[in-house]
Amino acid sequence: MATGDARVLLPPSIKNGDVIYVRAIIEHPMDTGFFRTAEGQPIPAFFINDVSVAYGDQQIAHFEWTSGVSRDPSVTFPLKATREAPVTVTWKDNKGGVYHQTVDLRFS
Amino acid sequence: MDRRVFLATTGYSVAGLMLGGPDDDEPPEEVKRVLKARFGNRTLTKAHVQFDIPENAPDGRFVPIFLETDVTPTPDHYVRAFHVIVDHNPDIYVAGFQGVASIDSKIKMRRTSYVRAIAEMNTGELYVSAKKVFVTLNGCG
Repeated sequence: MATGDARVLLPPSIKNGDVIYVRAIIEHPMDTGFFRTAEGQPIPAFFINDVSVAYGDQQIAHFEWTSGVSRDPSVTFPLKATREAPVTVTWKDNKGGVYHQTVDLRFS
Repeated sequence: MDRRVFLATTGYSVAGLMLGGPDDDEPPEEVKRVLKARFGNRTLTKAHVQFDIPENAPDGRFVPIFLETDVTPTPDHYVRAFHVIVDHNPDIYVAGFQGVASIDSKIKMRRTSYVRAIAEMNTGELYVSAKKVFVTLNGCG
């Protein structure tokens, strides 16, 4: 695993109209900039500050983060499954890194 | 002293101590400044926000938090965003979650502090709830 490895998890079985819980996890150090290494070198701030969630072509959620969110951040949120479409989560960090993860929402 | 009188007076004074004092959840100056910068002069009402957070958090690096409201969402009255504020963190405004009806995540905390959960409705009302969380291990550096 390395920084930026991400997963978006959906429940195994989804029916039309269900409210499902979507879990989005990403591997990221979320350094605050206040810690130092064992040698005394400060660790610069490096964290995700912008997350957006798209369902199909529609942007449904947007999160604004600071370094106060824990390392390897995970979020769980409800989503009403009204159509079969991909769910895409995009994470952006303060050093310009952009990470995407998409999962196909299918009814079964 | 009469036993009955003694019990009555001490009982009242103990109750008085529990009501007032340093456990007051009135936000400190710097938190008020953050609230003002973000929400202007809008009033915060203590209602409708339900949030789960452990009262004792042994590890300040990972404090689980769950936010929701008891407002039934309708197309013209719903939660636009949740905001999390920790009074004694270096970054007082920890996170904002826009466009979700509830959110489950983890935050960092520097030390024992009030955590404030704010729900912003689409109509502009702000609902707030505050809980004190006791932190043993500093999670912010």
